[in-house]
Amino acid sequence: MSNRRSRQSSSAPRISDDQMIDLVTKLRQILPEIGQRRRSDKVSASKVLQETCNYIRNLNREVDNLSERLSQLLESVDEDSPEAAVIRSLLM
Amino acid sequence: MASADKLINTDVPEKDVFALHFLRSLSNLRTQNPLNSPDKSIDRVRKIKKAAYVSMARAAGGNSRLWSRALLRRAAKDDNKSVRFSRRKRKVTWKISSKRRRSNQRAPVVEEAAERLRNLVPGGGGMETSKLMEETAHYIKCLSMQVKVMQCLVDGLSQK
Repeated sequence: MSNRRSRQSSSAPRISDDQMIDLVTKLRQILPEIGQRRRSDKVSASKVLQETCNYIRNLNREVDNLSERLSQLLESVDEDSPEAAVIRSLLM
Repeated sequence: MASADKLINTDVPEKDVFALHFLRSLSNLRTQNPLNSPDKSIDRVRKIKKAAYVSMARAAGGNSRLWSRALLRRAAKDDNKSVRFSRRKRKVTWKISSKRRRSNQRAPVVEEAAERLRNLVPGGGGMETSKLMEETAHYIKCLSMQVKVMQCLVDGLSQK
């Protein structure tokens, strides 16, 4: 696996080819979230990983919040038809 | 090495797969505690949160992904239940001991950030960096799907 050292654009660390591909794949998914501030080949690997960490932490926090709200909502729910209809609509 | 030919598959199932698993988990929770509802609301929240992660791991493919496998194993350990594997084949896994992993290290800047990521992704500790990123991509997609499902549920239940 040859490391293409000619690819030293900014302070980009030495990355092998298949890792570059992985990074680009990851980037394409993360970019919509962070709003496409940079073009894909100029972002450094560690920056991508950092953004990913932040994103995961945000998602975990969202899960926490939503779990809390769900817990409150499910407590106040009785087994009546409106909620069953909601659940049925989600399953469709 | 023709690594460019190897397409990394990070497809996740549709949203309704996640919804179905999650709702099933929730209804199981309710049948487990019909009348003796736990007094502490934090217990309820914790159970729902756990149901969210476990159902997400199941929807994502159960044991077919390293992160989901690790998540389910961790959850089962908490319950002291035995983990049921659908296939007991000893396939070649990407799990590399940390000693071997160190020989494959990338630049230290990358490894530093990857280490932080390893703490966030289930099962990340045994993965080599490029595998870690593939798993992370799948994990993030599933997590955001799960969040969407929960948001829909909350929205639906809030509009009474």
